[in-house]
Amino acid sequence: MQKKTIVIDPVTRIEGHAKITIDISEEGVVEDAKIHVTQYRGFEKFCEGRPYTEMPALTARTCGICPVSHVVSATKAIDEILGVTPPKAGVNIRKIVNLAQMLQSHTLNFYHLSSPDFIYGFDAPKEDRNIFKMMQTHPQMARDGINLRAFGQKIIEDLAGKRIHPTGIIPGGASHKIEESTKEAILEQVPAMLKIAHSALEFFRDNLHKFQEEIDYLGAFPSLFMAITNDEGTLEHYDGKLCFMDSEGNILKDKIEPRDYKEFIGEAVEDFSYLKSPYYKPLGYPQGMYRVGALARVNIAKTCGTPLADKELIKFKALNDGKPVLNTFYYHYARLIEMIYAIEKIEELLKCDETMSDNVRSTSTVSYERGVGCSEAPRGTLFHEYHVTKDGIITGVNLIIATGNNNLAMNAGVKQVAQRFVDPKNITDGALNRVEAVIRCFDPCLSCSTHALGIVSSKVEIRDHNKKIIKVFERS
Amino acid sequence: MRVIIGYGNELRGEDAFGVDTIKKLQKLSLKNTKLLSLHQLTPEIVLQLLDANEIIFIDASYDEKNHYALACPLTEQDNLNLSHHISPKTIIYMLNNLYKNMPKFLIYSMMSRSFDTIEDTLRYQECVDAVALYLSLEGQKIDF
Repeated sequence: MQKKTIVIDPVTRIEGHAKITIDISEEGVVEDAKIHVTQYRGFEKFCEGRPYTEMPALTARTCGICPVSHVVSATKAIDEILGVTPPKAGVNIRKIVNLAQMLQSHTLNFYHLSSPDFIYGFDAPKEDRNIFKMMQTHPQMARDGINLRAFGQKIIEDLAGKRIHPTGIIPGGASHKIEESTKEAILEQVPAMLKIAHSALEFFRDNLHKFQEEIDYLGAFPSLFMAITNDEGTLEHYDGKLCFMDSEGNILKDKIEPRDYKEFIGEAVEDFSYLKSPYYKPLGYPQGMYRVGALARVNIAKTCGTPLADKELIKFKALNDGKPVLNTFYYHYARLIEMIYAIEKIEELLKCDETMSDNVRSTSTVSYERGVGCSEAPRGTLFHEYHVTKDGIITGVNLIIATGNNNLAMNAGVKQVAQRFVDPKNITDGALNRVEAVIRCFDPCLSCSTHALGIVSSKVEIRDHNKKIIKVFERS
Repeated sequence: MRVIIGYGNELRGEDAFGVDTIKKLQKLSLKNTKLLSLHQLTPEIVLQLLDANEIIFIDASYDEKNHYALACPLTEQDNLNLSHHISPKTIIYMLNNLYKNMPKFLIYSMMSRSFDTIEDTLRYQECVDAVALYLSLEGQKIDF
């Protein structure tokens, strides 16, 4: 058989633009598969020369779905440069906004991007695997998704000024205190939102038995996991130390100060993608592959620290007898637990008296030449590192975007699922959907902030070993 | 009630057309009209449209040949592969199917070939003024 390459370009129902290639050997089997991130951003370069004060607003433009994470990591990096410790109220406001973003982001992935696969199955006609069909057959579920997202977005708007690219999270803390009426309006909605999040988790769990093959082959492999943790070992998204865990649950290294991340994380570059390939330095490249995001966080956390999420975490950890859950498909499960956690934690933080204090910001001037800000974005650990002159002009930037941490694992997942489901003699839409679905499990955020030109249609090209196209599949 | 939604990215040149038109309309104190200025259309926006009987979307649309023409493109750049923003078509579909609200809807677009800069400030502003004035006059005619 002639050597071929199958190209899925672009990958659909993810944030951003990517393509997948599947190489078929002369023996007619899947030899390799890769995800190629095809957009180039250049933030690290064009931020040079800007005043440090612009960094939260500039880097927020990296994305339209998780700008809060960039604002949080940027302001934390600047906090270090200024040598300030934000007051408790400022920190709690940041935490609430960060959790609200995680809630709306996870909601978007579950209801709008992934639920069509869960409802209709991976082999359903592609005309049915979309949000329009879901609105017809599961209208209440669709309304639930809208309400949950609106809840998260409204919190971001009320506490940080804008739903997208908010301006209220600033170096030293937050720009304004939470009004009592805002607090009451949020708390009033908490019971209804918890009910929605629970019903989503129950729906997912009730349908898991239909997806045993996907659970077993959509990126099920041993890897390291990385997340930030606090001193209590509870689920943490805002502050803490870095922790690396292996696939058996052994802690390889913990209590790593985020500012020392370069001692443990290397950044490799491959010629087939603009996305960097970070790895755990002590194990080398590519053996140091690790996963981040919801699955890593709930694997590493001993507890969530909130009652309802903790009940769910116990059930989750039982999936692999207390050892880390290795199946990438369970990222969906982990995100649903985090949704419950986020609502509970927002309630807890709002009810904390210190959160409502007038003292929300500390101020200072440039005190240090380097600052590192690290937080847990919806998709994983996010690093912002800035270098400045004594006048506060940026001279160097290094970003490790949450999704980038998963680059090696995403490629391993694509290869595994392609080898399992893609039959080169009979390439089905269901098989190609599964190849995309493993990427969707990671919920990668590859996107720029707004409108991208061009229609996101999915095209699969089969090419021979000379890159000559011999067959094209149009998938939308 | 009439709802006018202007959406786009103010940092992306003429993509700001919808947002700039809303700014102009805000100075005109239109009756029975809710004005929404958005970065992009997202699913939860429908909750702000439940009592609308007419929805007007204002946006810039990419077109190499008809720069600064005011029109509504008949071929919508839309598909079923949703990511983080959605189209007017999806918004209306959500209202119809999830909330049984069947508003009349219109799309006002300015054709643009530049989402990097505003190429001709004068002509761009003329487009903003023309749409704002038209919607203002139309609003006076209709009893909502």
